Amino acid sequence: MTRRTTLAPVGWGAVRPSVGADPGPGAYHRFAMMTSSVPVVAVDGLAKRFGEVSAVEDLSFTVERGQVYGLLGPNGAGKTTTLRVLMGLERPTEGTARLFGTVVTPSSREIARVGAMVELAAFVPHLTGMRNLRLWWEAGGAHMRDADLETALAIADLGDAIDRKVKTYSAGMKQRLGFARLLLGRPELLVLDEPTNGLDPGEIREIREMITRLSGEGVTVLLSSHHLTEVEQVCTHVLVMNRGRFVASGTVDELIGASGSVYVETDDRERARTVLAAMPGVVRVEPQGEGLVVEVRDARRSELAAALVGAGLRLETIMPTQRLEDAFLDLLATGEAAS
Amino acid sequence: MIALVRTEFTKATRRTRTLVIALLLIGLPTLISVAVKTHGRTRRGPDGEGLFRLAEQSGLLVPAAVLSVTSAFLLIVIAATFAGDSVAGDAAWGNLRYLLMRPVSRVRLLIAKAFVAGVLIWAATVLVALAGLVAGVVLFGSHPVRVPGVGNLVTGPLGSGFELTAGDLLARTAVATGYVAFGFTALLALGTLFSTLTDSPAGAIGATAGVYIVSEILDGISQLGRIRYVLPTHYGEAWRTMFLENRYSHDMVTGLGVQVLYLLVVGTIAAVWFRAKDIRS
Repeated sequence: MTRRTTLAPVGWGAVRPSVGADPGPGAYHRFAMMTSSVPVVAVDGLAKRFGEVSAVEDLSFTVERGQVYGLLGPNGAGKTTTLRVLMGLERPTEGTARLFGTVVTPSSREIARVGAMVELAAFVPHLTGMRNLRLWWEAGGAHMRDADLETALAIADLGDAIDRKVKTYSAGMKQRLGFARLLLGRPELLVLDEPTNGLDPGEIREIREMITRLSGEGVTVLLSSHHLTEVEQVCTHVLVMNRGRFVASGTVDELIGASGSVYVETDDRERARTVLAAMPGVVRVEPQGEGLVVEVRDARRSELAAALVGAGLRLETIMPTQRLEDAFLDLLATGEAAS
Repeated sequence: MIALVRTEFTKATRRTRTLVIALLLIGLPTLISVAVKTHGRTRRGPDGEGLFRLAEQSGLLVPAAVLSVTSAFLLIVIAATFAGDSVAGDAAWGNLRYLLMRPVSRVRLLIAKAFVAGVLIWAATVLVALAGLVAGVVLFGSHPVRVPGVGNLVTGPLGSGFELTAGDLLARTAVATGYVAFGFTALLALGTLFSTLTDSPAGAIGATAGVYIVSEILDGISQLGRIRYVLPTHYGEAWRTMFLENRYSHDMVTGLGVQVLYLLVVGTIAAVWFRAKDIRS
């Protein structure tokens, strides 16, 4: 059994130092991080068809630096196919996928700037976890000294098991080793396809915290997930897909609050009701329990909070009455009806 | 490229399967040699058995006899295993996509994998010959060989025969080993191609071995005429004339050419296909 501890804090904010005129495949990819303004990911009119079957159709989105961008959709929505095209594993039928401004082709150099886990983490089973990490890194022609192996091992937190053959690992251990591998070389972008599959609740929480922490340090994240709670907790932006097509996108707040309502508690409910009722974008304000349910059309939670605080009220609670799950199902239902 | 070859070589050589194959290739010639020694002279028969009969005169002929036996099936299966598993093995583990997301060039990866498979095929052929040499010398000694007249192995003596010195035998064994190993070049190309077509190593290995076995069957049908000349196995036994007829057959040169042709044509098809393929594993 492996030792279970909290994942060690990891992260990197600094630009990787140059190692010479030719920094090599593993070394060059931090240079543009602070200065470039091109989207980290830009998908434009992407379509991927397998014969008569359309996996993705006319999909466009961009992921800006520092965002945690979630692809959300039911099984068969085209999320994994989109990520595969983005990583150069599959060629698009139409449209383009760009990484750091460069159109992705198989084995594109830009892919070296990405740490990816597409579907489950997979390894050479008869080799140890450590040898898998080393061979994978060295296959790209880079030296281990450029890999920041210590950080990766802290992520894996596999203890002595790192020197055991991977075929003896549990699914969760493989997934942890997968995270260690994708963090080798300090990638600028993480592409995570259902990243918490196979993990226990404690590990899931650690992974979410790690994603949030890395995002805070400037790493961009693009993830697909079935776990709506996961997306709601870690993503700043969400794109909802269904049957390969775009359904909706925006910040989590925008998706939740686009047609929803907000629950508010303050130290003076009646005065708060007066303040909120006078705001543009607020449709209705009704008492509920200790607080108020505010039906909004265009107003954001932050605007409601600012108005209440500005009026001298102490804001105790403000939260959407609708969760992402409700919004997701509403969006899918709306999309189905429209099609 | 060197790093890629090194990583692929590490993956291939650290498999239990590779060790088992090595033990088999050492054990089988030893077992055959012991059996020949124990049961005395073998009956007359086709070349393979004839080589073993001659090998009773000198252990230096045992490698040729063992190559003759193993190259007909065992080495084919082993070579097909190394070649067919090269890409499909990684695909079956799910590791292929991670290699490509490192990223490494698909064509370079294919070349590295084929190169490592080729090295292992050569190593297998050399190992079986070396094991035969050691077992043969230990059991039968390292004497010169007196080969009776040409064609006598089946039909009886037709001439005065010839003698092969220990030096001749060693040199020709080295040439034969190289020729047999190079004779798997077409198989290597076919196996690598099949390995890119499927995510199932067993399927790729089976298809590769199957093509060679079918090729051997077709080669036995003389009515096929010149078509047989481009079969990958047609010139596979051309090296035996060095030991049985005291001459280097021109077919050996032609055989090498056919192998190179397969490597170029099938190898190019494999590279083009793999470069364009959607990786779904």
